[in-house]
Amino acid sequence: MKKIDETRLKNIVGEHNIKTDPSDLYIYGSDSSVHHAMPWAIVRPETTRQVQDIMRYANQDMIPVTARGGGSGMCGQTVPIQGGIILDMKRMNKILEINLKDVYCRVEPGVVDDDLNLALKPYGVFYPPTPASSRIATIGGEIANNASGVRSVKYGATRDAVLGMQVVLANGDLVHLGARTRVEASGYQLHKLMVGSEGTLGIVVEATLSFVPIPEFRCMGVANFDSLKDAGDAIGSIMAAGAVPSMLELVDSVAIKAVNKTMNLGLKEVAAALIFEADGMVQEAVDYEINKMKAICKQHNGQDIYASYDPKEREKIFMGRKKLFPALSKYDDNLASTALADDMAVPYSKMAEMAEKIHEIADRHHIVMTAYGHCGSGCMHTKILMDTRRKDQWDDAKQAITEVYDYVRSVNGTTSAEHGIGLSKAASFKLEKSDSLTLLASIKKAIDPHNILNPGKLSQAPENWVTATNLRYSVNS
Amino acid sequence: MEKKTKDFKHLEKWQSTLANCIRCGYCFEHCPMFKHTSWESDAPRAKIITAFGLLSGEVEPSESAADKMFSCFFCGRCEAACSSGVPLTEIFIDAKKDLVEMGLKGPGTTSTTELNCARCLICVGSCPHDARFYDGKGIATDPTKCQSCGICLDVCPAGAAKIKNDFGTNSDNLIERAATFLDTHESAKAIIFACNWSYYPELQASLLPESETRDKGYEILVNMCGGRLGAHLLMAPFLHNAWGVMAAVCPDGDCRHDGNLRAKKVIETLRNTFKSIDINPERIQLVQIPAGDKTLFQAEIDTFIDTLNQLGPIR
Repeated sequence: MKKIDETRLKNIVGEHNIKTDPSDLYIYGSDSSVHHAMPWAIVRPETTRQVQDIMRYANQDMIPVTARGGGSGMCGQTVPIQGGIILDMKRMNKILEINLKDVYCRVEPGVVDDDLNLALKPYGVFYPPTPASSRIATIGGEIANNASGVRSVKYGATRDAVLGMQVVLANGDLVHLGARTRVEASGYQLHKLMVGSEGTLGIVVEATLSFVPIPEFRCMGVANFDSLKDAGDAIGSIMAAGAVPSMLELVDSVAIKAVNKTMNLGLKEVAAALIFEADGMVQEAVDYEINKMKAICKQHNGQDIYASYDPKEREKIFMGRKKLFPALSKYDDNLASTALADDMAVPYSKMAEMAEKIHEIADRHHIVMTAYGHCGSGCMHTKILMDTRRKDQWDDAKQAITEVYDYVRSVNGTTSAEHGIGLSKAASFKLEKSDSLTLLASIKKAIDPHNILNPGKLSQAPENWVTATNLRYSVNS
Repeated sequence: MEKKTKDFKHLEKWQSTLANCIRCGYCFEHCPMFKHTSWESDAPRAKIITAFGLLSGEVEPSESAADKMFSCFFCGRCEAACSSGVPLTEIFIDAKKDLVEMGLKGPGTTSTTELNCARCLICVGSCPHDARFYDGKGIATDPTKCQSCGICLDVCPAGAAKIKNDFGTNSDNLIERAATFLDTHESAKAIIFACNWSYYPELQASLLPESETRDKGYEILVNMCGGRLGAHLLMAPFLHNAWGVMAAVCPDGDCRHDGNLRAKKVIETLRNTFKSIDINPERIQLVQIPAGDKTLFQAEIDTFIDTLNQLGPIR
């Protein structure tokens, strides 16, 4: 381990913005993933100049730097596998401008997603990517991972909402990427490259984001299904029919049971349910979309189909979905919910097969897996529920995940739809992108020649995620 | 990641529960310590990670680790928000018991007693958690019982009861922040005290552009527990030309420190005093807000500001 020049860092950010005590380092060594690794220092910049000075120092001494937002990443993106500095961006938390005339806002990377939407709400507009973790996730983290969420089926992911950004490069240089315009064709769209780069290409210090009007009408519906296949087929049919849902979510029986147990929502415990929503400025247009989705659900043997404009009813349905991830840890007192193989995407026509495949693989490997997600955008979430103390369960989980990803790639799906790659998904990512890995490495080398920006992630990540870092669980041998 | 665990006989029973925390971080927005410092190591999730590290042997039971476990105002909002159902404060208390047995006592947010203590025992009688006691020499605090409500600070006539790591809840600090707001905002009319963050209706962790806050009429200050709302704190904004002060506390029966009952008495007394000196008592109000009810809190604030607009400034 290299020695950190604490004095130099304190001179840059002030004594109150650095921590090196082992008990603090331990806390910052994990996120919402299964991984843990110790950083050497936590440094908290408050200005772009400070970020530049930190990067100049790190580049000169070749010290790894991992930027961190809310620490809600699920694949170990901010777990510092090679140690170094954790750059905690939460103090760069200013909303700099809300420009209604030009339809953009400028924010620092530490602004929390929900806070931005609270600030935009009085103007009748919202920032749409909205991952389920929006109460903690920062805009910087969302950019790093190209976050998306329940409404991305209509409004797109983070990449679609980012117009431009200021980025501090590995050598400390500040660059302005993109523009403050809706479209840009001026050369490479480097700001789009930064989105989803997981902190491996630069540190975002300011972002220009677009927003959209809050719709006047929102109607949410639910349909229950006795088979997962019927629900999956309904998703494919809805999208193929040209419907425009603002949300199209699948929850399976495992997910329904978990939400009922935790939140007492009284959802009917069926094989699967679809939650669908349409929104717009004209009620007739919303009705048209909702009726279309209701009819398709019925064609696929959907039951108990109903829809409501009532905000309280919508909130009840939506909160259940939003809190599903933490609720899964209540499914069984002996099983912990682990963020593994958690956000693959497959073509719509494969959605039903994918959902069934997940359960079949889980049964074969004696673990519990759930199938849910933003299926309208092709994204299927799973969580693996297992006894994390048992080593054999980790072996089972690893085998199950390998099989799930093998299936995803075999049907031209993708390893990650919205959480990123980090450490946990590197093996499948490398197989999926095998013919472009050299290209990715060339880009990384050109922008970060000393490989100090979040090293050991994406294509550099170890292929065996179980042994890549310490696991954050106590595992008996 | 299996290491030999040290002797954590109280904490040990939580081993599997600690694995159930999926570390989503949804507890951050409710925590007064995280809100004050924005260091993740002050958030409830950090205490769960630390408890896991202590049990697994990866975190040494050091003074700094103990200071984290002893820093909590026990508002309980983190565990109310935890949909994984992790009983965070019970885990914190058991960790504290083990650490105390190892000779590590924080203090974190545990209340302490300065040398100028007159041993009047008022704090002993006022402590809702039976944490303060006379040990034969002076007033001491049982750090495993203290829940950092701060009521002892407010009742101590000598100012000898202290919470050293106050995370911005110290009344001097609140008075200064109230004064700064009232002195620097032309439209400033009111100070609103909120007893915790769960119903705070404004931005949680980010800052608005200055242009958005220039015309603000009120400032919300979170003081952690209505039991700490002494008369000096509630009256201080009036010295800086506040038109009114409102205090929000938990509904009857909801406060784990019974601080809401104390706040009710203090504000009732102040309202009577206002009447006696011919100031409209509506300028100082108490409202009860259930945990998480941001809409109700905002509605109460709006109604209060309407009332103040009708009353105008104090002349």
